[in-house]
Amino acid sequence: MSESDMAVIKPEIMQPCIWLQTSDGALQQVEQEIAMVCPLICEEVIQKGMGSSKNCAICLPQRVTPAALSLILDYCQFHQVSGRSNKERKSYDEKFIRMDTKQLCELTSAADSLQLKPLVDLTSRTLARIIEGKSPEEIRNVFNLPDDLTEEEKLEPLNNTTDDPRIRLLNRLYAKKRKELKERERLKNVEVEEEHVDDRSVDDLLSFINGNDADPKGMKSSKNKKKNRRKKEQQKSSSLKEASELNNKEINGHNIRPQTDGANGIAEASQSNTEDSTSVSREFDDGDIDVEMDPALQEKLDREVEDFARILNSDWPERMQELLSLGQERKATPFTSNENSILRRNA
Amino acid sequence: MGDALGSDLISDLPQSIIESILVRLPIRDAVRTSILSSKWRYKWASITQLVFDEKCVDTCSDRDVVEKTVVKFITRFLFLHQGPIHKFQITISYLQSCPEIDQWILFLSRNDIKELVLELGEGEFLRIPSCLFKCKKLCHLELFRCELDPPPSFKGFLCLRSLNLHQVLISPEAIEALISNCPLLESLSLSYFDSLALSIRAPNLKYLYLEGEFRDICLEDTPQLVEISVAMYMTDDIAEHFEQSADCNFVKFLGGVPNLERLVGHIYFTKYLSIGNDPGCLPIMYKNLETIELNQVSFEDMKEILVVLSLITSSPNLKELQISGSSNIPSATDAPDLDFWEKCPSKCRLSQLRVVHLTDMCGVPHEMELIKFLLGSSPVLEIMTIIPCVYVVESQLKMLTELVKFRRASAKAEIVFIRE
Repeated sequence: MSESDMAVIKPEIMQPCIWLQTSDGALQQVEQEIAMVCPLICEEVIQKGMGSSKNCAICLPQRVTPAALSLILDYCQFHQVSGRSNKERKSYDEKFIRMDTKQLCELTSAADSLQLKPLVDLTSRTLARIIEGKSPEEIRNVFNLPDDLTEEEKLEPLNNTTDDPRIRLLNRLYAKKRKELKERERLKNVEVEEEHVDDRSVDDLLSFINGNDADPKGMKSSKNKKKNRRKKEQQKSSSLKEASELNNKEINGHNIRPQTDGANGIAEASQSNTEDSTSVSREFDDGDIDVEMDPALQEKLDREVEDFARILNSDWPERMQELLSLGQERKATPFTSNENSILRRNA
Repeated sequence: MGDALGSDLISDLPQSIIESILVRLPIRDAVRTSILSSKWRYKWASITQLVFDEKCVDTCSDRDVVEKTVVKFITRFLFLHQGPIHKFQITISYLQSCPEIDQWILFLSRNDIKELVLELGEGEFLRIPSCLFKCKKLCHLELFRCELDPPPSFKGFLCLRSLNLHQVLISPEAIEALISNCPLLESLSLSYFDSLALSIRAPNLKYLYLEGEFRDICLEDTPQLVEISVAMYMTDDIAEHFEQSADCNFVKFLGGVPNLERLVGHIYFTKYLSIGNDPGCLPIMYKNLETIELNQVSFEDMKEILVVLSLITSSPNLKELQISGSSNIPSATDAPDLDFWEKCPSKCRLSQLRVVHLTDMCGVPHEMELIKFLLGSSPVLEIMTIIPCVYVVESQLKMLTELVKFRRASAKAEIVFIRE
């Protein structure tokens, strides 16, 4: 500390100086011109008149470690000289930024608390470059991130977790296994049924209003819109309620879908709703209820899930086509057989 | 649970830094950070700048499948997103107009969108839904291949600073109203408009880029303009229209821009300026004009040469001049009105002119006279580059011979003659 002190003080005995105090309590005297490059220090000096002596040294924010401060001051010292060309500045930056990741993160944090935006941009860019293209395992190693998402990780080879509805299904079913279900189930069983019914009747109503021969895509999108909006509002109100409701729909989904959904539009909507609902429930980190009520069903689901995982992990593209085409077939049947039933129900 | 070796370096940094990092990643990588650790699950979901480009999903040979995947990806992304969205950009050539886009724009209009860029693929133009016009905080709008139809109740984007419309179908009244109802508009770029007669009223406009077939451009109220770049295409229609017009285009276009710093013209721009009655002595001086670039100037048309000369002589602080000829093979070596150059104000001093680039020079008499004029009036000229037109190999020697004779006002002037 004192060495850098000396280096800073010696050449500029005549220059005005500012006193800074870092988080460890140590005091440091720095050339005013250099220190004032940092907006925070600038503000302290100009607006509050601090820093002119040891007694009123500017207390730097907690996140500014002495090492980071010294790096920042080097940076400021180089860049505040006006004659430099852009090329010079760029090459300085590239050399400057070469440090290990720990230092880099500390530097980012310190620069941010001093409001030194150009340096924050530089360090952010560097950190982004470090992250880009690496596998999650590598990124975790670099930043010492805890590996606490084990189930989801299993799906990692599939690469894009936001992509496919079946991945979402898988995600949620996995999460289900390790969460406490009973409390949720006890709380929400009754409302779940009601909600479920409500949804369905509104769906039917919509399809009735829009006419069954309306453009299925259009219908789907408007319905989706409605559902999405509704889901969003519900999201804001009571989370658990929705999570359980959606879950219920979905579990029943596989086998009961033809019955709960009528027209093609609804089936489609429900499928994509499933996707959305899975995303929504992910939000609440749970989404698992009703499975306990039927252990046989749960076992069946577990097996299905494991099959799924195996299939998905093995031969991805072909399987995806297969599964998608399977889904199409299932959808086709309800449309033809239940079309009339909707009208009858609503009539 | 941290490692024994070290604690988590990054997850506890403030959200503004995390955003700063995530925004610099391709959007796919940003989303993938959701599986890094439990803290990172939704950090990506609050970034405020979304840029979807060609690489955001895996491509495959079936264009339909890729398009569907992209649409699903963006829709689901938006649905999972939390918080305001300040920038939304789609630059995807395999995405065509589809109904989901309307929903996205509606979603954005409810989320404080400030910057919107839509560049879809070639194909059917996207009809922009009216909810776009409810985006009150819009600062920057860039649309490619769309159809815009502002509703009658639309009073303008009050925060819009930059507008870029490229191949957009919009009625002339609507575009004029749009421009004049955006009081903060600083940068305007219109390209590939067909046969548009435009009158621009934008008191804060600083940067203007126009490209296309314009019948008429009138800068009615643009006193703050600093940079103008115009590429004017010509059709037979427009050419006819020009024949009949009597207004002085030069004054209509450049009469009200005293703060101009940079002027760039392409294709028929100089011809456009030359149409109409001769203004005589120009009413204004462009004191800040430092760079003039005029391309495809026809040195066989006396009026165009006059335009060039008026511009040069009205810009006392001109530093850089770039002129390219129209690369038509000259029809005659003789030219009328050569005595005009003798009457030229010889006391004109281009006291700041340092750099001159002349390209596509054919060696016609007027070109040589211009060079002579420039050399004789620029006391601080440092370099003049001349690139002859590729078609006229024979006259290059003649050009050089003449060049050597010209008197130079600047002792430092270097003339670089570049032959292929």
